[in-house]
Amino acid sequence: MLTFITKRIGLALAIAALSVTLLFIIIHLIPGDPARTMLGPKATPELIAEIQARMGLDKTLPHQILIFFGNMLQGDLGMDIFSNRPVATIVFEQLPHTLALIFSAIAWSATLGIFLGCFSAVRRNSLADRLTGILAVSFIAAPAFVIALYSLLLFAVELKWFPAIGAGTPGDIGDIIWHLVLPSFAIGLSWVGYIARLVRASMLEILGEGHVRTARAFGLPEKWITYRYALKLAILPTVTVIGVGMGFLLSAAVFAEIVFSRPGLGKLVIDSISTRNYPVVMGSVLVSTILFVASTTLSDIVNAILDPRIRQAK
Amino acid sequence: MTKVNFEWKSMSIPRREFLKTTTAAGALAASGVGFSSSASAAGGTLKTRTYADMRSLDPAFSQGVVDELIQAPIYSKLVQYKPGREWGWKKDAAAMVEQVDDTHIKFALRDDQGFNNGFGAMTAEDVKYSFERHTDEELGGTNGPDMGALDHVEVTGEREGTIVLKNAFQPLWSITLPYITGNIISKKAWEGAGGKISTTAITASGPYMHKSWVSKQKSTLVANPDWKGEKAAFDEIQIFHIDDEKSAEIAFEAGELDFTRVSLGSVERLRTDRPADSTLDEFPSLYYAWVGMNVDNEKLSNKKLRQAIQHAIDVPSIMEAAYFGAAKPSTGIIAPGLSGHREKSLVSPEQNLDKAMALLEESGAGGSNITLDILNKSANVTAAQVIQANLAQIGLNLEIRLHEGATFWSLGDETAGDQWKNVELILNRYSMTPDPYYATSWFTCDQVGGWNWERICSPEFDELHAAGQSEGDPVKRDAIYQRAQDIMEETGAYKFLTHEATPVIYRNSIAPGLRPDGLQLLRDYSPA
Repeated sequence: MLTFITKRIGLALAIAALSVTLLFIIIHLIPGDPARTMLGPKATPELIAEIQARMGLDKTLPHQILIFFGNMLQGDLGMDIFSNRPVATIVFEQLPHTLALIFSAIAWSATLGIFLGCFSAVRRNSLADRLTGILAVSFIAAPAFVIALYSLLLFAVELKWFPAIGAGTPGDIGDIIWHLVLPSFAIGLSWVGYIARLVRASMLEILGEGHVRTARAFGLPEKWITYRYALKLAILPTVTVIGVGMGFLLSAAVFAEIVFSRPGLGKLVIDSISTRNYPVVMGSVLVSTILFVASTTLSDIVNAILDPRIRQAK
Repeated sequence: MTKVNFEWKSMSIPRREFLKTTTAAGALAASGVGFSSSASAAGGTLKTRTYADMRSLDPAFSQGVVDELIQAPIYSKLVQYKPGREWGWKKDAAAMVEQVDDTHIKFALRDDQGFNNGFGAMTAEDVKYSFERHTDEELGGTNGPDMGALDHVEVTGEREGTIVLKNAFQPLWSITLPYITGNIISKKAWEGAGGKISTTAITASGPYMHKSWVSKQKSTLVANPDWKGEKAAFDEIQIFHIDDEKSAEIAFEAGELDFTRVSLGSVERLRTDRPADSTLDEFPSLYYAWVGMNVDNEKLSNKKLRQAIQHAIDVPSIMEAAYFGAAKPSTGIIAPGLSGHREKSLVSPEQNLDKAMALLEESGAGGSNITLDILNKSANVTAAQVIQANLAQIGLNLEIRLHEGATFWSLGDETAGDQWKNVELILNRYSMTPDPYYATSWFTCDQVGGWNWERICSPEFDELHAAGQSEGDPVKRDAIYQRAQDIMEETGAYKFLTHEATPVIYRNSIAPGLRPDGLQLLRDYSPA
């Protein structure tokens, strides 16, 4: 198991380094000058040159990459030239908002999705199964930004049940959760559908296998068979999907961050790319990549823990 | 944050009426009114909105409107913009400010001005430090150009001094003193902080002080208890960062904002159907948008072709389609209310197909394929489509090329490569401050390849631009800038579109303090 985990973490680090290098090259290849974007028409040639030098843009691209990784290994992600603040501070200010949004969305959507999937599977081809199927596909088909806008108009503007903007007062957990409800609902809804369909299909497959028939033949209670034996195996692909889904939720979170005017990593990346704020882009992308790779690695490890065949196969 | 009461001695200053303020160039009327116009009723929380996040609390590193929105209520200036529909300024920290000649401005500070957190009375040394650091190349501030004419500040007394300019500079009264560069900071506080600050406030000299900033969310200002002037109108001001105007409108409707700018597309609806107890106000903006033509491009070097395009574009149609009828056609780059504004342009905003066709025939470029570069904003896309249809009417095929922000803003930049050579038509929009000098700055010969993307180089234009900066006679200055815009239009390289508009909505429970272009002056807000 230790070898498996070590290999997985090594691979994750290699993927993160490669992704960040590629993104570094891509962002620097796109035309656009941060000094001109920052200063607008005030950008005199002297100011432009000075800002470019402060950002290290007067150096060759390979040199810039080496500097970036060198500093990164020392925990230094550079300085944001626009606000004169450390990039790490800026990124880690935004990260908790994104993590809270993603984890809350995953948590509620996985809970409901797994329940609906099991509910459908044990009532295969019944009216309830069909209705659940229709509901799940509807959830999948609804784009996150549409859900975000409509939930905002209904629950914030009309009913005034939830706040429309922001992420709540720092330190006030109740207020933060209150501000999370609508964004989390908006980006998690389609995952309810995905997970429900996935769990249903896996459950049906597992419920038809020999060991389940044997368990039934031994007279084990149906609930025990369903939730203790079948679900434990059926959930494996869901764990993998949730791991990969973290990446997709990072994208969906951008919509929620824009519509609900929430702070977050996605919005930070978009703002930074549009202003060619290279240090912040790289810092944000690095953290996002690590987040994505860590979640997929974690899902691999959880899969291996749940199913000994996986770790033996590696 | 430790709050220490001011401890400074009272000082007698002759409260002379300031003189020779004719340098305000007619656009700015010297007011001589009292210090603050805020309502005396105090209390409550004002929730307003800005479209971007705060970047810096240091005036030298302020990056424009958003930073100034927050800095203006916490730092005093010698003079502040006066709220209302007409441009003007009023005295703030200055008990007296007087232009004695073209290059010397005497000032005396009020004796009740000071900094909180134990940084004492505001002195002429503070003014000197605040102003001169903008031109300090070592500091590397971003607002040097606005303070460009400053030579030095001479301290003549504890609270008296003289601003000495290198040359006559009329924008001093409309940009330098009442805007970003005019903020007065504490020399002692700044030196103690190493010469510059970022997003943590160290002291305040205005009616409000900076309480907190939550990145990408909001800034909070609270009434400065050490402020000796008229009491701050609100206990707290929360400034929310909401970049999307539609989201801001929803937040307003949900009751979470007291004030926001709204999108032009919403104006028509909000005129008749807006939340109860709210008011929609529409202000003309200072921005200017135009279609430019690169005269160094092979096709567009043909003046007759450029003139044909000028006459083929129908600006009223663009106003209807792209600006939902909420903006008006412009006559140039200088908005109404400012010195140099023209009542009429040389080329009519309306399409003149016959003239366009005749010019096109003369040009011999009929049936040409032309490109139009635009920034990826919905209003630009719609405007470009109207222009495409207009040019199709005279047989020109227009290809629209869409760019995201940073790419677009480097299109005409010679230092960024050769892409400027491929620029033909460009739909452009520049921001503006309330002085005509700022508008003409980008179209001079030395800006060719920088911000002058049409690449027109007119010695006469450059002379006018230089003369306009120092001309003190409002009538002559008006004529200078009008002629400068005539020259632009005569080249055929410009079709002026609009100055856009700033529609705002606010609760009837507040009386917002706004500049004539609709920008917020938080010091001047008050409960209704």
